[in-house]
Amino acid sequence: MTGPAGNIEYRVAHLRERLAAEELGELGVRVEVRGQAVVITGTVPSAECRDILLRTAREELADLAVHSDVVVAENTSPDHAEELP
Amino acid sequence: MIRVAAVGDIHMGAESQGVLRPAFDTLPDCADLLLLAGDLTRHGTPEEARVVAREVKGLAVPVVAVLGNHDHHDDQPEKVTGILQDADVTVLEGQSTVLDCAGTRVGVAGTKGFGGGFVGRSAGEFGEPLMKEFVRYSRRCADGLRGALDELRERDCEARIALTHFSPVADTLAGEPLEIYPFLGSYLLAEAIDTGGADLSVHGHAHMGTEHGMTAGGVRVRNVAQPVIRRAFNVYQLHTADEGAARV
Repeated sequence: MTGPAGNIEYRVAHLRERLAAEELGELGVRVEVRGQAVVITGTVPSAECRDILLRTAREELADLAVHSDVVVAENTSPDHAEELP
Repeated sequence: MIRVAAVGDIHMGAESQGVLRPAFDTLPDCADLLLLAGDLTRHGTPEEARVVAREVKGLAVPVVAVLGNHDHHDDQPEKVTGILQDADVTVLEGQSTVLDCAGTRVGVAGTKGFGGGFVGRSAGEFGEPLMKEFVRYSRRCADGLRGALDELRERDCEARIALTHFSPVADTLAGEPLEIYPFLGSYLLAEAIDTGGADLSVHGHAHMGTEHGMTAGGVRVRNVAQPVIRRAFNVYQLHTADEGAARV
């Protein structure tokens, strides 16, 4: 694609708009252009959210390589406290 | 000593029920109260609020919360607040509460807060009506926090905590893109905290930020967004003024 519709930066911007507007309401992940690929990083609340996020990204950026390092929030208790004297 | 458990940005949705409860059930062993620093839901719907309410209802420690921007998205913050209150959560917006934690009086003052940025790089109350309202809204939130901290000063608390969703300082945003700092917090909150006085400031909102920071007045700030602390909650052991005097 050429012209504005094919511009990778605008396509990433549109992906971010979709992630915020659709079922995820996701504003907390980072989506960055690296060369001809797109890298998505951050933490999401559940594995289901991660699946939806990556599915949406691959839909929106169908002809681009999408690399993911998205992790699911950890729900364990802390093993120590921080002391504030 | 007060043991303060805190987490923000838990972003609960329909499939989240039960994921945090096992950790929350351990709270009586390690904490005297639980603070929730906003963005408890994804879209601020009553259904999501009910997931949060069930997750914290009946906990053996008191729960105090502020809402976040996500909790406003469905334009029903009053309903979200009501659902949480029905689960015995104290929800603060420009208000304060005093808890008796094992004989120690702990005051919590809270507001969601808002953006605007930090000194020298902040939005001004100038120009278009929307821009002026943006800054005025942030100022109203900060004024509410200041008023709530002032109330606590009159109520003989041994420890005072400022609870917000947006950040009072830039320190705890380190890791976020600099360009979005004005959407992540406001120095007006820090000014309110330093003027009103607090022993600890707790916030969320900045998922890519850093846990530790400090206001210009020397109040310790902790970003407890769940993606930052990477746990169900963190615990801060806060020594009270009386203990400090006893040690001297």
